[in-house]
Amino acid sequence: MLKFLSKRIVQIVILLFIYVTIVYWLMEAMPGSFTDKYLMNPKITPEIRQNLEKQFGLDKPAFTRYLYYMKNFLKLDLGISFSHFPKKVSSLIFERLPRTVFLFVTATLVSYILGYNLGKRAAWRRGKILDKTATFVGIVFWTIFLPLLAIFNIWLFGVILKILPLNQFINPNVWRGTDLSAQNVFLNLLLNAFIFLVVMMISLIFAQRVKTVAAKRTIVLSSAVVTLTVSIILWTSTGLGIYALDIILHMVLPVLTLTLYSFAGSMLVMRDTMLEVVREDYVVTAKAKGLPDRVVRDKHAARNALLPLITNFVISLGFTLGGGIITETMFSWPGLGRAYLEALNSQDTPLLIGLLVFTGIFVLLAHLIADVLYAFLDPRIRY
Amino acid sequence: MTERSETIVQESLWKIRLKLWLKEFKRNWALFRERKIAIFGLSVIIFFAVFGIIYPLYPTIMKNVFWKDDIISYETFTPYDPIIGFDPNIFDHPSPPSLVHPLGTDPLGRDVLSMVMYSTPREFVLGITAALITVVIGTIIGASSAYYGGVVDTFFMRLADIVMLFPSLAILMVLSAFIELSLFRLALIIGILAGFGSITIVLKAQALTVKVRPFIEAAKSTGASDAYIILKHIIPNILPLSFLYMMLNVTGAIFTEAVLSFLGLANIRMSWGVIIHMAESSGYLMGSSIGTYWWLWVPAGACITLLCSAFYFLGRGLEEIVNPRLRKR
Amino acid sequence: MLVLLSVKNLKMHYKTKMGYVRAVDGISFDLDSGEGLGIVGESGCGKTSVSMTILRLLPDNAEFKGGEVLFDNENGEPVNLVSLAESEMRRYRWKGISMIFQAAMNSLNPVYKVGDQIVEAIQNHFPDTPTDVAKKKVAELFKLVGLDPTRMEQYPHQYSGGMKQRAVIAMALSCDPRIIIADEPTTALDVIVQDRILREIRAIQKKLNMAMIYISHDIAVIAEVSDRIAVMYAGKFVELADSVTIFKRPMHPYTYGLMHAFPSVTGKKVDLVTIPGEPPDLLAPPRGCRFYPRCPKGDKLCEEKDPEYVEVDKGHFLACHHPVQPGEVVQFNAE
Repeated sequence: MLKFLSKRIVQIVILLFIYVTIVYWLMEAMPGSFTDKYLMNPKITPEIRQNLEKQFGLDKPAFTRYLYYMKNFLKLDLGISFSHFPKKVSSLIFERLPRTVFLFVTATLVSYILGYNLGKRAAWRRGKILDKTATFVGIVFWTIFLPLLAIFNIWLFGVILKILPLNQFINPNVWRGTDLSAQNVFLNLLLNAFIFLVVMMISLIFAQRVKTVAAKRTIVLSSAVVTLTVSIILWTSTGLGIYALDIILHMVLPVLTLTLYSFAGSMLVMRDTMLEVVREDYVVTAKAKGLPDRVVRDKHAARNALLPLITNFVISLGFTLGGGIITETMFSWPGLGRAYLEALNSQDTPLLIGLLVFTGIFVLLAHLIADVLYAFLDPRIRY
Repeated sequence: MTERSETIVQESLWKIRLKLWLKEFKRNWALFRERKIAIFGLSVIIFFAVFGIIYPLYPTIMKNVFWKDDIISYETFTPYDPIIGFDPNIFDHPSPPSLVHPLGTDPLGRDVLSMVMYSTPREFVLGITAALITVVIGTIIGASSAYYGGVVDTFFMRLADIVMLFPSLAILMVLSAFIELSLFRLALIIGILAGFGSITIVLKAQALTVKVRPFIEAAKSTGASDAYIILKHIIPNILPLSFLYMMLNVTGAIFTEAVLSFLGLANIRMSWGVIIHMAESSGYLMGSSIGTYWWLWVPAGACITLLCSAFYFLGRGLEEIVNPRLRKR
Repeated sequence: MLVLLSVKNLKMHYKTKMGYVRAVDGISFDLDSGEGLGIVGESGCGKTSVSMTILRLLPDNAEFKGGEVLFDNENGEPVNLVSLAESEMRRYRWKGISMIFQAAMNSLNPVYKVGDQIVEAIQNHFPDTPTDVAKKKVAELFKLVGLDPTRMEQYPHQYSGGMKQRAVIAMALSCDPRIIIADEPTTALDVIVQDRILREIRAIQKKLNMAMIYISHDIAVIAEVSDRIAVMYAGKFVELADSVTIFKRPMHPYTYGLMHAFPSVTGKKVDLVTIPGEPPDLLAPPRGCRFYPRCPKGDKLCEEKDPEYVEVDKGHFLACHHPVQPGEVVQFNAE
């Protein structure tokens, strides 16, 4: 398995380099790129200009500039942004990164869990009400015009029901009195969520060991409840509760929109794969062994249908990323997606390149995780 | 016992082929008809096709019904022109739906229904052109990769990996900054970008199953050239799958164009996405205005959704025919 | 010897777009404990459907159309399997009657260890069994079928075809069933392994005094393992008798044809018999005897009236208007 992984990592690194190169040259082809923009910026003093030229080789021919860029890239220095001068691109990205990651990861996790569950149930009862409704509803959400969904959600929850804020990351009124950084509160929230995830995973592993369904449920539910209660107590006791709540409220709609939009992808793949798996002999054998219907469905059929789902996840990444950009724009969510559009509008080339490069890294990382997950789940690869 | 007798086939070859094809078609149609989802998709597509075709009739009808007494006004302002129209009789634009304007008017005074109708054929052209290009490229690459293997195969598969790394929407957004994305050009670019991506992997896998069949070996041994085998044997056998993917790609193309127009990045004069973009940039999608000015975004958004989902439903209906393992008993 | 299983006039039809396929159309037989019953017939005659109907493992479009399956469940009271609720039926599956499927290599789930899949069956029917006890039993079973017990911890793809077959047999034995139904247990194996596995199955059966139902299209296989043989055609049994009688004194023309379709390696050289024609369409079977169109002894009576399945001799059941007489040679006309 280690051999397999290391081979994969090498492949990924090569791909990454090719990708960055292509992105760089693509940007170079854009009119009015690098050099002019930098040099025309009035904020740049002659000294800074000299430093920049030295660091980025701005007065050198294109190919040399490329080499400079690659050298800097290896040092994780992605240049300096035009529109947010003199902030570095990398610091801009890292500032906005957690917000997008959170949106993306939550939406993906929820939509896959939802898709997995709905898909396996729909396929198990093919042709019945659940199957027909789930498929129809799923496809409608899959093909819906995302801005339409976003506008509709804003309208429904923000205007008519008035229970959720319309957009943005935070409500400035709530934060006016303090000098707390929203970023810090958010990061703490993320940490909290991460710990919650870890706890849940551990509880799931324990639940595997236990035999009865009732015991499994108790373990999972109790760990969820305990963690949540502890978290709430921690937040309220330090007085940061309302701030955290404000952020959470603002997160609901974007996450909901992106989740609704993407769940059908995994659901349909799961359903299709299940329909094939269901005809396999080992599923009939499982039933012949006298196992309860649910066990046959989940432990035998769904477990095998899970594998193509992981492959599908990788393929649909581009789709979800695009969805993320649109969602962030619609909700004015200050993440990487929106930064992309802003950079585009202000022609901030270094930021654009940086964002694209970063997306590539992210996608390749997801590839790697998916490969590991697949190898973990399919013993035919491990042995 | 049956008597052995000499029978000479009387009918010409093409007639026989036609009859066989018709029989196959009828059988597939019966299968297709069972899938209500696919029928729904097809009906919606036909509806939109008709909708788009009858577009020219619409202003004429409206003119004769509502503008009989005011021809001069009509000629000057052409209230039903989707791009430069203007209705001088109404004070406040955008105006809500009325008899004169069944879907209301937009901030510039243009009739929304005529904008929606005008865009319909264009959406079709865009979607189908892009999907066609994607499928042609994908099929050729997939078949060649499977057939030749080796360097050719590795090259195209790695290429597909790289292409899939690029978030297509993001790339298109960047391209919009320095290429003028008119309708046809956009279709071309979307088509080409998608053509080298995941579709090649899927079609190559399918082509591989064809390649190992005995008749390919047989064709080779009778001296058929590579191009001949690819064109006449491999490709026809993966064509059903290609066709299926074409439907799915139409969905993607229409959606992509709509998003680009909505963000104001495309250079298209009128499309459904442009309608919503106009609503947004004029500030009618803020807060409570969303509900008040619903006709500015609901019709266009619904059309995009309906047409996209129709093609997708159609694609899924076809999938049941193409992939016999998914068929019901 | 008690009657372990009594199937009476079992009927099951598949519902399709084009009508009902009458796959199991009035099957009756008794099975004693310790007995080996072979069911032989052409592909598509419904033999697999019989076993699936008994265990109620049928797909959604299968409709039960009548009959009884009486299983002696050791309390003295026979229970009718077809009338049970699903949750009750589960208790009889595998523990009362277990099954070895056709192409058994696919019976093993690829993502779980082989041993674990057998442990699963044991713990499902004996819930208080601790895992290590269950694994000990698996080790014993493996030894019985000729597998190395340490292979319990491996995955199916690490086994060869013959090994998978043995594992599946071990799995079928795991809950000490009273009956095992083996559906074409060796079709997917090469001839040498086939022979070995057959002998081993027969040995295990005798050793554990289990009842077995063997299903196959291959006369040679059935001959090796059965005490009694039932010949099935187009959804019905046409003849049922002990193996010797079936071979030496077949009374139904179809059975006769089957017995003479085999070249004898040691015996005289005779012309092989082939039965021309095809089995009838089970969507609309003929109203008379179903074998009539292919039968050289068929006449107007056969065409009009479907013969009844009756006991013509002790333990010998037959459905035929014109049985083959002793010494009679039946000519199947070649086309």
